[in-house]
Order: sequence, then C-alpha cells, then structure tokens
Amino acid sequence: MMRYALRRLLLAMAIVLCATSLLFCLIFVLPGDPTAVALGPMASAAMRADFARRMGLDRPLAEQFLRFLAHMLAGNLGRDVFADRPVATIILDALPHTLALTVFGLGWAVLIGIPAGCWAAVRPDGWFDRISGVLAVAAIAVPSFVVALYALLLFAETLRWLPAIGAGEPGHPVDQLRHLVLPSLAIGLGWVGYLARLVRSSMLEVLAENHVRTARAYGIGERRVVFRYALRLAVLPTIALLGVSVGHLLSGAVFAEIVFARPGLGKLVYDAVITRNYPLVSGTVLVTTALFACCTLAADLLVAGLDPRVRAAL
Amino acid sequence: MQQPRLTRRALLATGAGVALARPAGAGSSVLRVRSYADMQVIDPGFTRASPEGDIARCLFRQLIQYKSGTSWEWELDAAEKIEQADPLTIAFALKPGIAWSGGFGTMTADDVRYSFERIADPAVKSPFHGDWATLDHVEVTGPLTGVIHLRQPFAPLWLSTLPWNAGMILCRKAMEQAGGRFTTEPPATCGPYMLKSWQPKQRTVFARNPDYVGAAADFDEIDVLPIEDAKTAELAFAAGELDITATSVGSLPNLRKATPAGAKLVVRPSIAFTWIGMNVAVPPFDDVRVRRAVQRAIDVDTILDAVYFGGATRATGIVAPGLLGHRDTKPLARDMDAAKRLLAEAGKSGGFACALDILNVTDRLTAAQIVQANLGELGIEVQINVHDSGTYWTLGDQSKGDAWKRLNLLLQRYTTAPDPSWATTWFVPSQIGVWNWERWDSPEFGALHAKALVEFDRAARAAMYVRMQDLMEESGAYLFLTHEVSSVLHRDSVSPGLMPDARFILPAMRHA
Repeated sequence: MMRYALRRLLLAMAIVLCATSLLFCLIFVLPGDPTAVALGPMASAAMRADFARRMGLDRPLAEQFLRFLAHMLAGNLGRDVFADRPVATIILDALPHTLALTVFGLGWAVLIGIPAGCWAAVRPDGWFDRISGVLAVAAIAVPSFVVALYALLLFAETLRWLPAIGAGEPGHPVDQLRHLVLPSLAIGLGWVGYLARLVRSSMLEVLAENHVRTARAYGIGERRVVFRYALRLAVLPTIALLGVSVGHLLSGAVFAEIVFARPGLGKLVYDAVITRNYPLVSGTVLVTTALFACCTLAADLLVAGLDPRVRAAL
Repeated sequence: MQQPRLTRRALLATGAGVALARPAGAGSSVLRVRSYADMQVIDPGFTRASPEGDIARCLFRQLIQYKSGTSWEWELDAAEKIEQADPLTIAFALKPGIAWSGGFGTMTADDVRYSFERIADPAVKSPFHGDWATLDHVEVTGPLTGVIHLRQPFAPLWLSTLPWNAGMILCRKAMEQAGGRFTTEPPATCGPYMLKSWQPKQRTVFARNPDYVGAAADFDEIDVLPIEDAKTAELAFAAGELDITATSVGSLPNLRKATPAGAKLVVRPSIAFTWIGMNVAVPPFDDVRVRRAVQRAIDVDTILDAVYFGGATRATGIVAPGLLGHRDTKPLARDMDAAKRLLAEAGKSGGFACALDILNVTDRLTAAQIVQANLGELGIEVQINVHDSGTYWTLGDQSKGDAWKRLNLLLQRYTTAPDPSWATTWFVPSQIGVWNWERWDSPEFGALHAKALVEFDRAARAAMYVRMQDLMEESGAYLFLTHEVSSVLHRDSVSPGLMPDARFILPAMRHA
C-alpha cells in the first residue's frame, strides 16, 4: 500500500509539472500583448519595452520557462503584472473561497445524491425511484447558470432569505455560510443528479451479488445489509468520481463567481488569461492543477483503503 | 450518553436562524456602490480603469474637480483660487490646512509641483504622461501658491487634465518615502474619505475623513463592491444589497417601464463612441467608392434597435453631444441604390469577401451579424472574426506583426475624456499602425488636431473638431454608430454624484 501511495504521489507530481509546463507554453502561443493591456493606449513604445524588460517578457520563451520552473521550485510564483502584488498572496486570498465553494458544492451532491441513489436502489421501480430518477436527470440537464439565476431571483430577490452577492463578512462564519448556499447549490445541483444515478446503479449491482445474498440468508437486518455491506462497495466508484469532479467544479466555479460576484480562483485565472497576466496564469494553473491532483490522489488512496480487492491487486 | 437527534423541526429552526442572521451594519449611514472591477492600482499616475479613478477621487484632491450634474463643468477643490494668466501660465493658491494622513503635515504647493512633474517626467513612465506633455515646470512661489508653466498652450488642460487623474495631488514626502509609487496602499491621503479596508475582489470600504477640509462627506462609509456582471448588480440592487449601480443597456426598456419601488433611474448620454472602420491600406477598401458603398449599405438604426433596444441615438461623429465640437448634422442614411451604384463604379458589382473583426462581446456580435446581413444584400460576403480582448487590442498594432494586413472591417468602441482632443488623437497620421487601425492618413486632420490643442477660442476650436469629423466621414473609412447611453439605478434615499456621462463621483454622493 505504501509503495502504491508513493507511486501515485510521484504520478501526481508529474501531472502537475506537465500540465503547468504545457499551459505555460500555451499562453505564450496565444496572440496578444500584456504590455498593451497593462499600460493602455497612452503608453509609448519605450514605456512598453521597459515594462516588458522588467517583467522578463522580452526573454526567449525557453529562458522564461526555466526561470519560472526555478522560481516555482523555490516557492516563488512571481508578481502580478498589473497590481505588482505577489502572485502567491493573490492566490491565497482567493483559494479559501474556491475551496469553500467546491466543498459545499460537493456537499450538496454527497448529502442528497448518495442517500437518494441508495434509497432508489433498495426499492427499484418504486415511487421514490421513479420520482428521483426524473429529478436526477432534470438536475443533470438543467445548466448551472439557469439554476443560479433562478435561485437568485427566488431566494435573494423575491424571498430575500439569502444574499445575492459576495462572500460574506470576514470573521462572520454564519454570514459566510449564507453567502455559500446559492452558489454552491448552483454548481452542485448537477452533481446531485450524477451521484444519485451512479449510486443507484452501483447499489443495484452490489445488492445482487452473492455476499449480500449470503448476508440476508444469515438473517442480518436489511438496513445493516444495505448500509454496512452493500453501500460500502457501491460507493467506491462514487469516491473516484468525486475526485475527478473537483476539477469540473473548479472550472464551473467561474460562472458562479461571476453571477454571485464572489472572489475565487476561477475568475482569477479567467481574468488573468484575458489580460495576458502571465505570472498570475502560471501560478493559478499550478495551484489548481495541484489541487486537482491531490483530490484524485486522495480518492484513489481512499478507494484502495476501502476495497480489499484493490489492495490485493496492488 | 444521549446522541444529538436531527429532527425536521430542528432542521427548519436552524435554517431559519441561518437565513435571518445578517451582518451588523444595516441601517447605518453606509452607501453600497457597485463597481464593475476591483481596484488594482490607485496611484493616479498608473490607474488602469475607471473604477480606480472613482476610488482615487475619494482619497486625493485636485486643484479643480468635476461638478456633479449634466454639463461638463469644474469647480474648485483643493485650490482656493486658480486662473490662467496667459496661455502658458496658470497661477493657483491652495486652501490652507488640507491635512495629509499619517502625520505628513498639510498640503503645500510643493506637493502640487511634485505630483504634476512626476507624471510629466518621461523617466517615471506614467501612461498619463500625455496629459502633462506640454508641462514645462511648476514654480512654487509660496507654501500654498504656485504657477504652472507650459511649454505650449494646451486647451484640454481644464477639462481633461486638472480634474482628471493626472490632476490628483499626492504628498511628496510620503511618496518619496514609499519609493515614488504605490499600488493599493496609498502612503498618505487627504480626500473626503479614507481607505478603511480592502478585501480583494470583495469590497473596498471608505470611512469619512474627520480631518477633511471642506464640506464633510455625507456618508459614514462607502462600500464599493466589485461586481463585473451588470445583470448580477441589478439583481443585487433588487435584493437590497446595493444602493447605486450602473445598469446594462439591455435592461433599460424594462427599467424605464417599471422602475423598482423606492428607486430612481438616471439615463445620460455616454461620451464613448462606436464606429465601423475600414482599413484603407487593404484592397478593396483602398478604393473610396467601396468604402462609401459600405457606409451607405449598413442599417445603423437596426443595429441600434437590436443592440441598445432603442435606448441609444445615432452618432454623427466621434465627439459626443454635450462636448465642444459635437457635429450637429444629419447622420448618413441607408441608401442601397447609392451603395450598389458606388460598388459598380468601383468594378465590384459582383461583391467580394472580407472579414469583420470584433471583440467577443455579445452586443458586438449582434451588431456584426446585422452588418453581415446588410452587406450580404450587396453581394459582400462578410466573415466575422471574434477575438478575446488580449488578442483583439493588438490586431492593428503594426509592431506586433502582420495581423493589421488582414484587417478589413472593424467594429470599434473607444471611451474618452470630456475633451474632444481625446477622441481625435487616435486618428492622426502618427497613430497609423498604433491605434489608427483604419490607417487613414489625412495631413489636414493631423494639422487640425494639433491646432485645436492650442486654440482657446471655444467657437474656433469647436469648428475645427467638426471639420475633423467631416473629414473622417468623407474618407468613407468610418461609419459612426452611436455614443451609447449610460444608466444608473439608485435608491431614492440617495442623491447620486454623477458626471454628465453618469460616471460616479463618489465624494459627491449625498443623502437625498
């Protein structure tokens, strides 16, 4: 197990390095000039050249890349081209908001999707299975921005139960929680549907297996059979999916950050790409890729920990 | 041990508690303002966007400032007196006792000298260098008095330099201690409000400056909330989370029909200008007859209806109504017969294929599709190329490669300061390949632009700008679309401080 964990860790690091390098090069392939964006129309050619020199943008791409790698390994992500603030500080300002949004978005999916899928599988073709099936497909089919806008109109504008914009007052956790409800629902609702359908089909498969039949034959209570023996196995594909879903939620966070005017990494990287703010793009891509790699690594290790068959195969 | 039980009643009670728990502060004298972007640099010499200027106006003072209202006028701010002795000298006297924060004493004429000469200094590399390009030096004649000496007359000084960012006064001592520039932490301020806190991408909070010399700020605090999307801001306003916000043009018809209860809508003409440009260096647009055919074939009224929902009027030039030099004439009418005739004269009656490059903004795409349909009627096949802003703003830049050679038609929008020179400056011959993407080369236009900069007679100056716009239209390289409109929604308990184009003057915001 230890060797497996180490191998996966090395793989995760390689993924981060490859993705970061690829995206670093990709942004330089894009047309566009950060000096024009940074200094505006009034800047002279000399001013632009000086700016490019100070930012190291006049150096060959390979040199810039090697410098970026060296700085990255030393923990220095550089400085924002426009605001002249350390990229690490800017990312650290935004990261907690993105993490909170992602965790709460997944929270909706886990808290509603898994029980719903489980219950639907226990009584297949029952009323709950049929209704939850329709609702799950609807949740998947409705675009997140539609959910966001309707949630805003209903809960913020009409009922005024929840705030429409922002991330809440710092040091006021209840307020921050209130500000999380609608955006996390908007990005998590689709995943509620996914998880409900996935858990249902996994459960149906597991419930038909021999060890479940044997447990029932021993007279073990149905609730224990379902939750202790069946769900433990059925939830394994869900855990793997949750690891991958972090990446989707990180990208889905962009629209939530725009619609709900929240700070976060999604909007940060979007703006940075648009304005060709190279240090910020590189830094943000590094952090989000690392985050994604960590989540998939954790999911893999958790699956290996929970499933003896996976452990045996390592 | 008793396990905690989660009952339906407990869940509902918790939910209600969470819903009702609101942060403190509601009901106090706090103005909540939407800004379309967060601040990045509020050093007046290096601001990048209009919201940063709004913020800087809270913190710093100028010799003169814009009056809130519907016409572009200025009033005294830090200056007790200011007068133009002759076209090259402007004498000023500061109000006494304007205190700097941080124990840096009071404002002196030396601070004025430092602030203006800093922006004018090419070594500082301020993008606003052009505002003070004609500054020779500022002579300090006393602790509170000085004289601005210009190398050559500069008519825009009173409307677009002194009351704009380049006219903001910084504390020399504090700035020198800070290394000569700053981004988001001003070393010393003196405006009606003080920077209380800044949460990046969340809010900027200003508190009333107790030491302010002049009419005290009306609000205890101003919260500036960066909300990029105008529709989100409108929802936030409807949800009671904002007191004043600019609105989207698309919402204007509905807001006009049904302004929310307890709110007022202000609609003002913008001074931005949009146009369709043609690259005269590239065939077939090197033929004036083709350009004029395109001018006559495009249905501008339909574009305005589709994009601005009837909220914007047609432009007759690049200088907006209300500004000196506005061209008060009838806009070009659509005339397909004339367009066909001109195209036939140019030997292009069978049409041709060309590209229309636009920014990836929905409004522009809508307009581009109408242009595409209009020109299709002439047999001109238009391919719409959509670009993100980072790419788009380098397309016509000759120093960035050959992309300018592929430019045919452009759908452009520029914003400007309230002096006509800032509208015309981009189209002079020296801007070809820089911002003059049409590559239209008119020595007469260039000469008039230079002449108008030093002309102080308003009527003569206005006539020059009108002539310059005539030349633009006659060249066929430009089809003027609109100056757009700006709209602001505010609570009726707020008396908004607005420039004539509805840009915010935060210090002028008052209780109604």
